[in-house]
Amino acid sequence: MECVVQGIIETQHVEALETLLQGLCGAPKERVRVHELCLKSGPNLGVVPSEVRLLCDLALPTPTWTVRHVGGAVRGAAAEQICVQVRQVTESKASNNVLRFFYALGYKLDHELLKVGFAFRLQRGAQITVTVTSAYKMPKLHSTDEAVLITPSIQLVEITAPAAADNYNEVVSAVTSLCEHLAPLLHLSKPGVSTGIVPTAAAAAASLMLNSGGKTL
Amino acid sequence: MEMGGGAAPPQGQQQPPPGAAAEAAAAPRPAAERLNAAVVQQLNLESVKTRALGLDKAISRILGDFDAYARANSSPKWQDVIGQFSMVSMELFNIVEDIKKVSKAFAVYPRNVSAENAAILPVMLSSKLLPEMEAEDNTKREQLLYGITNLPIHTQIEKLKARIDMIGSACEAAEKVIADCRKAYGLASRQGPSLVPTLDKVQAAKIQEQENLLRAAVNFGEGLRMPGDQRQLPSSLPSHLVDVLSFGDNTQNFGDNSGVYSKNTPAFTSNAVNNQGTPIQAPGAQQIGRSAPSPSGVSGTGNFDNASTPPMPYANSPRSSTNMMNTPSPQQQLQQQLQQQQQQRQKMMQVPSQHQQQLHSQQQLRPSSTPGVLGQSTMSQLHDLQGQAQQKLQQLPGQHQMQYSQSLSQHFQNRQMQSMQQNMAQNQLNQGSQLRSHLSQFTGAGNNALLNAAQASPNSQMISNISTAMQSQSFLPRMQQFGLNGGHPQRNHASQMLNDQMFGMGASNPSSMVGMQQQQQSVFGNMQTNVQNLQPGMVTLPNPTQNPNFPQQRQQNQQ
Repeated sequence: MECVVQGIIETQHVEALETLLQGLCGAPKERVRVHELCLKSGPNLGVVPSEVRLLCDLALPTPTWTVRHVGGAVRGAAAEQICVQVRQVTESKASNNVLRFFYALGYKLDHELLKVGFAFRLQRGAQITVTVTSAYKMPKLHSTDEAVLITPSIQLVEITAPAAADNYNEVVSAVTSLCEHLAPLLHLSKPGVSTGIVPTAAAAAASLMLNSGGKTL
Repeated sequence: MEMGGGAAPPQGQQQPPPGAAAEAAAAPRPAAERLNAAVVQQLNLESVKTRALGLDKAISRILGDFDAYARANSSPKWQDVIGQFSMVSMELFNIVEDIKKVSKAFAVYPRNVSAENAAILPVMLSSKLLPEMEAEDNTKREQLLYGITNLPIHTQIEKLKARIDMIGSACEAAEKVIADCRKAYGLASRQGPSLVPTLDKVQAAKIQEQENLLRAAVNFGEGLRMPGDQRQLPSSLPSHLVDVLSFGDNTQNFGDNSGVYSKNTPAFTSNAVNNQGTPIQAPGAQQIGRSAPSPSGVSGTGNFDNASTPPMPYANSPRSSTNMMNTPSPQQQLQQQLQQQQQQRQKMMQVPSQHQQQLHSQQQLRPSSTPGVLGQSTMSQLHDLQGQAQQKLQQLPGQHQMQYSQSLSQHFQNRQMQSMQQNMAQNQLNQGSQLRSHLSQFTGAGNNALLNAAQASPNSQMISNISTAMQSQSFLPRMQQFGLNGGHPQRNHASQMLNDQMFGMGASNPSSMVGMQQQQQSVFGNMQTNVQNLQPGMVTLPNPTQNPNFPQQRQQNQQ
């Protein structure tokens, strides 16, 4: 299981967000460059199509593949009260023929996108990963070199934290407190829930950049 | 006191006028300036002095009279005393009035003299400063007039005035600056900070639209799906996909199950695949060989020689149980036994090393343990069976054992009905002793006890029980009977069931009933062999004369 929230931020304020996260994290940022292929199962694998995401991490010299299945979210009254979505996720590293394997099983490529950005890993009551990426689409199949930004002026911020069934309350509270910390810059919500941008983002970004103007990391 | 107080003022009055009029900074009193002559005349200081002195004398005279009265302790004549007081007070009043007319500007006189302040009045009236006050005054004066004291007075005055003017102008400038700053920062006004600028609606709408686009794309893939005609592999793939997709995926031939099976491939990749156009749209044609059920025993003969054969090819496939139910022909059974033995040979290679010695012995014996060759000693067959028992017990999980036990029950009923002889007891005893060491490793205590009990119990009892059990239709009661013989009422555990199978079947033949049907069949074959070999009372007797009977008996068993 994992707890996840998403938000958007204008590209002009991303640097300020990076500064803030750097201050919260302490460790340097990690580059993110992920080619995500979303596969849907064919009819031979059941009536209900299932979706599997293959993530190829292109940031490292050797591309590494990960298989990821996103399950359903926790539902109920308690789930509606919290601002964080808790959902089942299964992830695993895979060898580089995983794409062929899934094709062999009968999965078909549904869509693909490229995410480029950075990520920070924090330890604030739980192991939290904050990823800020801009999403690219590929006009031609698998053409990662010719990818085009989907939304040039907006980037996606995603905060995820792994959780277990018995401790997800604590993880939820840790993620929520981090969201409050980032509140001046961006508003975070469950995936699929639209948030808009925050009016104080400009001022907050200005103050962050002003404070850190002379400091270079 | 009063006299002193009364006398002091007139004297004090004379002193201030000369000092007050002049700027006598450092000048002593004798160097004070003279008063205006007219004022002096007007003041008529001499007359004031005379009158003050006269008044002083009168007061002192009255005081003396009061002393006399006090000493004499007689009350004075109050009328006279009052008359004298009124005269004194009128005189003082007249003096003060005369002074007041003239020296109101520069003369001080005590207005209210009472007993309290009479003592301090001279000090207060004195124009001379207290010593410390005077010292402080002198230092300040020195600071002020530093550098110009030697100049004439008027120069000093001018310089001091210039200083005052400068200070005044500086103060004015400072005030002006403060006022300007107040206006600049809005501090003078009472308004708060300006409001946060809100987004105009157009901009907000644009951002909202972009946000929806982004979220939909990332979470659900909206707007990223390409129509089918565009899904052609480009000529140049990115580096991470080159190896993955370059040979195409949809044209691999997996129809040859046996070939794939024997190759033991992870190689779906580049080995024997034709590169064709669209891998994405035709994945359905791809089949992986292993998904097909395992080949039948006959067809899979050639594969068993391969060391890479997985250990349990038939463990989960439905055909295995089916094979169990079908009673193959004796030829098939013979072949199956051959194959099973080969399988077992391979499995023995996989069995852990602690049993390797026995396995080696089995390997040596195995070629000769074919059903057709009955010249072997019973002991060797027992070893063989024991080894098989080990393998099966080691390799099978309990559940499978349960399944096989249940499916075996019917299978073996037929066999046992025909094969159980009174030799079973002896067999059991013999084999039990040899099996005990093996069984104790992985059987429960109950089985060991059964084994011991079986050995302890008389043969006749066992045989009779076994014979009665043979007639029973169900497998379980038989086991229960055996169990009761051994004094163990509970036989619920699957492994115990299996081991009981061993005992049950192996009452004639403790070879393992557990495990593969092929192995079981082979066991059964061996069991029959044992049955044939072991005559009543004979433990181990290789009896080659009985060998020709074997096939016949096998046919009988399979009816």
